Amino acid sequence: MTDNSTVDARASSPAARPVKPVKSGAPRNSGGPTPAGGVSKAGDRVFLGLSTSAAWLIMVMLAGVAIFLIIKAWPAITANWDASNPLQDRTSGNTAGQTSFWSYVGPLVFGTLWSAFLALLMGAPVAIGIALFISHYAPRRLAGTLGYLIDLLAAVPSIVFGLWGVFVIRDFFKPLNGFLNQTLGWLPFFQGTTNANGESPISATGSTILAGAVVLAVMILPIITSISREIFLQTPSLHEEAAFALGATRWEMIRMAVLPYARSGIVSATLLGLGRALGETMAIAIIVSPHLVYSFKLITDGENPATIAGNIALQFSGSNSLQQSALIATGLMLFVISFAVNFIARIVVARTAPGAKRRTRKVTKA
Amino acid sequence: MKITRTGSIAAIAIVGAMALAGCSTAGGGTTPAPTSAPMDYSSISGTLSAGGSSAQGNAESAWTAAFKGLGATLTFEYDKSQGSGGGRTKFLAGEYDFAGSDAPLSADETTSAATTCGADGAIDLPIYLDGVSIAYNVSGVTDLNLSSATIAKIFNLKITDWSDPAIAADNGGKALPSGPITTVVRSDSSGTATNFTKFLVGTAGTEWPYPAGGTWPITAGVSAQKGGSAVAGTIGTTAGAIGYVDHSAAKDSNGKALTVANVNGVAYTPEAVSSTLANIGTVKSNGVAGDLSISFDYSKLAATDYPVPLLSYAIICKTFANPAQAELTKAYLGFIASTTGQQVAAKNAGAAPLPESILAQITASLADVK
Repeated sequence: MTDNSTVDARASSPAARPVKPVKSGAPRNSGGPTPAGGVSKAGDRVFLGLSTSAAWLIMVMLAGVAIFLIIKAWPAITANWDASNPLQDRTSGNTAGQTSFWSYVGPLVFGTLWSAFLALLMGAPVAIGIALFISHYAPRRLAGTLGYLIDLLAAVPSIVFGLWGVFVIRDFFKPLNGFLNQTLGWLPFFQGTTNANGESPISATGSTILAGAVVLAVMILPIITSISREIFLQTPSLHEEAAFALGATRWEMIRMAVLPYARSGIVSATLLGLGRALGETMAIAIIVSPHLVYSFKLITDGENPATIAGNIALQFSGSNSLQQSALIATGLMLFVISFAVNFIARIVVARTAPGAKRRTRKVTKA
Repeated sequence: MKITRTGSIAAIAIVGAMALAGCSTAGGGTTPAPTSAPMDYSSISGTLSAGGSSAQGNAESAWTAAFKGLGATLTFEYDKSQGSGGGRTKFLAGEYDFAGSDAPLSADETTSAATTCGADGAIDLPIYLDGVSIAYNVSGVTDLNLSSATIAKIFNLKITDWSDPAIAADNGGKALPSGPITTVVRSDSSGTATNFTKFLVGTAGTEWPYPAGGTWPITAGVSAQKGGSAVAGTIGTTAGAIGYVDHSAAKDSNGKALTVANVNGVAYTPEAVSSTLANIGTVKSNGVAGDLSISFDYSKLAATDYPVPLLSYAIICKTFANPAQAELTKAYLGFIASTTGQQVAAKNAGAAPLPESILAQITASLADVK
């Protein structure tokens, strides 16, 4: 965001707004490299060329990745997954026993969406709460420090979160899993895996999708918090003052003035968080005990659905070439899902426009 | 770091004592009688690139240190993060001088090695012998014995409680305290799994209905962890857990040794596993002259053999693209396949020294590499 704003500001007069290089906001803005009004200085021209080529570079790279994925994935998607195929090699990879690519990728897609959903369920409310606290409750100095700390959280590498999950969160959840199973065991989410002897033990290791989702939730906090905070801060102060003038308490003011104004921004922040959660690899790969299953159970070792990114990380090196192609094909599916999520985010933002529009204008001015 | 330094000191001490066991014999006899003068390591210098099996990791760093201790100038960091499968993949992609792998090249890989290495293909050389340990965590139990069939039933999720009569029967009728069993396996492909499932296929009969391979065949109901140290760590922190790990890596995350079970009444010792290799291992070439892939016939196990050996290979091209690189790799692997090299691994990684007969064959195979 900050990048965009600087670029816009420097690039000049509102009339000759060039293509935004990174996040080309609304399609109507991307009018191509034709500047209205004559280009006067060499610097302008050079900059125009640079930013235009940056914009094209993004398109080329995106297309390149898509083409790479499709070419590499094609053999596995179109392969005949019958018994004689290398994909059924039980000694390598984990594609053996699947009847088609779709039966292989199905549980992975499910696992990816399910873990990301759980992470959002836990992370988004907390993140929005933090953002509200920083923007409307905290004293100025504390707000600055807190905002800085939250941003710092975004800089922690995911493998570190993963190790933290393995050594801290998993142990933390061991007793909690038993408690959840005893008190909420009537819900399918909190039941164990039924074994050969008819018992249903829950996880003894703590290596559950619940633990993974908690760590994911922490990982998506900073992105949701910082975007929401920006938007909350842009609530027109006239609205806020009007609410106070009507006798609203602070919470009522937030409910009446801030939240409606920021609704679309919150949605887009959440969807960006979702994008992060969908693609997360290492933390999930080392915390969760993954399997190719469809299951909503949260506290087992034996029934956690694997995620696409985690599965690629775990299986790639041990797979034969067609199995690797199948893994790349699952990557293609992740690409499509992420694309869809971003697409939906844009539609939502465009639908509930006022906040979004306001935001762009203000950021540009700053 | 500490280990490495100890390794080099140990190596120098051994070398001093043994006056440089040579590595240039061509005889296929029972002793690698050094027929030529001891090698002059000080003339060796260069950079090696290799990786793969994590089981070899500790031994490789000890070997590297010892090799340098002999006067060679070597830049080499064995990449054990790859795992056996990753090592073979990178080797076949031409990125490595040699791959460390707990399984020899498969038939398919042998074919594709001809693309990487040229028509002469690639050979598998067994350089590291250790065992797969069955580690467990049952409070108060330190002397568990498990038979092949019971191990197969536990890992096939047929036995789910520690008080099961089959486990008691393996321990002289003494029942263990009741508690659910959590089987911990690898979520990534591993050579440890290859060696362990070979043992199950070879000894457990119908109790183990799956083929041997690097990917764990049971897809639900087990706790799957990424990497051997995570398996060991999880066993260390989970009451009722059992899993398979390299003998040299059977430590929890605090470095404390895990309790390991006796298999068919035999505890792991280097001698017990050396004897296993001598009794059940036969060289079964992959078709390339000089290849030393070893196949196990588990029916020949003696009562005192530790039945779950882990044999790890170095995989190299028969003809290198770069002759200087071939010389360096040969010198390094030649050192590993010397009595000195094997003792370095035994001292630093708890490995079992390979029998002299195999070392002699490796030396002979290396002589043909160019």
